[in-house]
Amino acid sequence: MDLLDLIDTIQSIADGLLFGATYAMLGIGFTLIFGVMHKINLAYAAASVGAAYASLLILAGVKAPPAVVFLLSAVAGGVLGGIVYVVCFRFIPLVNPLATLMSTVGLLLLIDEIIVHETQGVPLAYPALFSDVIVRAGPFGLRGDLMFVFALGCVSMVVLLLLVYRTRLGLATRAVSQQPTAAQLCGISLDQVNGFTFIVTGVVGGVAGAMTGAAIGMLSPLLSLPLTVKGLIVTVIGGLGSIPGAIIAGLLVGGFENIFQFLRGVSERDLYVMLLLFAFLVFRPGGMFRTSSARE
Amino acid sequence: MDFYLGLAQIIGIHTLLGLSAYCVLLTGQVSLAQAGFFAIGAYVAGMLTVLAEWPLIPALLAAAVIAGAIACAVGFPALRLRGLMLVVATIAFGESVRLFFFNFDYQITRGNIRVGPLGGEGFRQIRYFPEHGWSTLEVLLFVWMVVTLVMAALWWMDRSRAGAVLRAVGEDEVAAQSTGINITAVKVSAMTVGGVIAGAGGGIFAHYTTHIEHVQFGVVLATFAIAYPILGGLSNVFGTLLAVLFVQGFLIEGLRFLGDWRNLLFGALILLAMNLRPRGLLDAGAIAALRRLSYRKDATGA
Amino acid sequence: MLELRMLTKRFGGVRAVEHVDLAVAEGEIFGLIGPNGSGKSTIVNLICGLFPATDGNVLFRGEDIGDLSPHARVALGIARTFQNIRLFGQLTVWQNLWVAQNSRKQLGAQHFIGRWLGGSRRDREEINRTLEFFDLAHKRDELAANLAFGEQRRLEFARALSAKPALLLLDEPAAGMNVEEIEELDDRIRKLREDGISILLIEHHMELVMSVTDRVAVLNFGQKIAEGRPAEIQGNPLVSEAYLGTAAKVG
Repeated sequence: MDLLDLIDTIQSIADGLLFGATYAMLGIGFTLIFGVMHKINLAYAAASVGAAYASLLILAGVKAPPAVVFLLSAVAGGVLGGIVYVVCFRFIPLVNPLATLMSTVGLLLLIDEIIVHETQGVPLAYPALFSDVIVRAGPFGLRGDLMFVFALGCVSMVVLLLLVYRTRLGLATRAVSQQPTAAQLCGISLDQVNGFTFIVTGVVGGVAGAMTGAAIGMLSPLLSLPLTVKGLIVTVIGGLGSIPGAIIAGLLVGGFENIFQFLRGVSERDLYVMLLLFAFLVFRPGGMFRTSSARE
Repeated sequence: MDFYLGLAQIIGIHTLLGLSAYCVLLTGQVSLAQAGFFAIGAYVAGMLTVLAEWPLIPALLAAAVIAGAIACAVGFPALRLRGLMLVVATIAFGESVRLFFFNFDYQITRGNIRVGPLGGEGFRQIRYFPEHGWSTLEVLLFVWMVVTLVMAALWWMDRSRAGAVLRAVGEDEVAAQSTGINITAVKVSAMTVGGVIAGAGGGIFAHYTTHIEHVQFGVVLATFAIAYPILGGLSNVFGTLLAVLFVQGFLIEGLRFLGDWRNLLFGALILLAMNLRPRGLLDAGAIAALRRLSYRKDATGA
Repeated sequence: MLELRMLTKRFGGVRAVEHVDLAVAEGEIFGLIGPNGSGKSTIVNLICGLFPATDGNVLFRGEDIGDLSPHARVALGIARTFQNIRLFGQLTVWQNLWVAQNSRKQLGAQHFIGRWLGGSRRDREEINRTLEFFDLAHKRDELAANLAFGEQRRLEFARALSAKPALLLLDEPAAGMNVEEIEELDDRIRKLREDGISILLIEHHMELVMSVTDRVAVLNFGQKIAEGRPAEIQGNPLVSEAYLGTAAKVG
């Protein structure tokens, strides 16, 4: 491989890492729900995309600069998160993991269909900030829009970590994830904590949806399934229930994916991501950061 | 009339898909890999009848056996995984199978056309049924003969000790081990049987639809596969059949009354069903009620 | 029958079981007592093979069974009950016993079919007899989850017996029982000894232990601190200290 190829390779890794922040956010969402409630929310990525669509909708109605769309998406994500909780988890007895799993599948289908209906299946353009900015660092160029998305992701993750580890609500969440019965006996309302977890992850998801839209430049209902699969893979590689794991795994998958897209083309790219997952499952089944909540 | 015959055919094929997931779900493994085994069965059977000019039944049997063998191979690493990790691993497996066929070309010239799988374009011209003069009714009867066989086998298994052993493993692996059950053998066997059934279903599907492509075998089909037994209830094979009837009937027939909205309502319906009846349509309670209605003795070796 | 040699189990830094030597003779009822956290349940789990020992050996009938999987040990003739009942709640009482049966049959093709189908008339009669012995016959078709607590305990016991063990490990079978139920338990345990089954009894309930066991071993902090006949243990100051922290009499 000569120098030009090497530069191209590193460039695609860099691009992939920046995009990987999106995967990291999705992974965080899946891992938080699983860590706290020991349940899988398959509707998460769909809700994130839905929140991004909602933000476009609101933006069309409100006169505001395009940058506001990220905030709108976050808010919409939070609302959707609450809805997911009520509709899929609040009323189904927790001893029925299959039922909750199925209900999230139902919600995923519902959200996708609503999006298809409202947009006639046509992809919508998403505001890509700083898309014409390219920061040059020697032979490498860092795309402005990807850098913005990355920065946004970093800020969100820091805020989230502060929330989980420095606030009382975060403390309550961690208590519930470890010992739900004891937590209740300490006066913590399971309903509130679980609902709160869903709203917070919904906000994270909303930002992730907006980030995806901004990075690709458009939204399409076809995004939900691939994002769900990638998000789940990131969650497992990072370690179930581990936020730092999800972050690193997200970046890893993003970089890995992009480099194989560069080397082998789009059609084979995903196969290598699967291989990466299988490698982890064989050699390190707990993921990068095994946590006790990963034990079933 | 042909429309309803076609509907009945697809219901039969999807019942096989659902039954393949039923086996595996009984042991507590949530497997989203059934669509992958279904795909393998479809491509193998198609290639055998089209490229190697095998008769239908041997081709289907071979497809089922190969799919089952691959399922067995998947079953062993799956033993180490639980819950979400198993879900993700099986999704990844299913996607890998799909991606494999997306990139898979194998064509030969027959007469003046090229036949065989062609990557993204799929596998066309699986014309065994028309070429051998099968009428729609004959295909339908064939499909349902297979379905009946499989359902009978699973029903009988459910009433036997094997069924209780499977469910015991699904409920509490530690207790099952301590009771002398070889959980490795049970879980891998269940996965293998699921693979065989899915392979057979896939093989029939390929010939029913004459044109298969990778898109059909994605995550959505995999979720349908487990949706049927979950929605129908895991107490009973008939629950799965009921769920298939309901879902396919709703999705296809519903077109007439609800038009474009049927897909929307489908998702909403699943949500409603899971909230109202988390254990499925035919759960243990419903079955007990049905029994009381018909005064039948239940299966306890009497 | 059963021998533990220098058996050790550490979980990370925690020494759950340290160099325990123990022997249960054939036909004996052996008691294992000790304060909570002394390692009793860990020892049962080690004997059953739920996790591997850090050091030491478990010998059954002279053979080291350390490499055997849990179900293989059941096939050899070791069965157990669980402290927190672990029944198959969604199976009926009958089915709970059914799955436990036949684990000691030879592994061969002709028996394979029989095992999977559900066994012969003789097997069925055996289950019925077990149900009678435990006074559960009237609940035969009831889901295990719907039974009363006492009935569940009896079912747990019955299920362990359905595996036709030579050695039965009872993990706190008297927990939560009233005086009457404990008397019945005492009778059942004696009856089992008459049938030739050796028993390792883990219990907190001192009266039961003193009444029914031939010999007793005492654990504290994972180590064996005393062993002998029940009467000897009763007067042992080490034992009272372990339980009560002062030199007071136990039992």
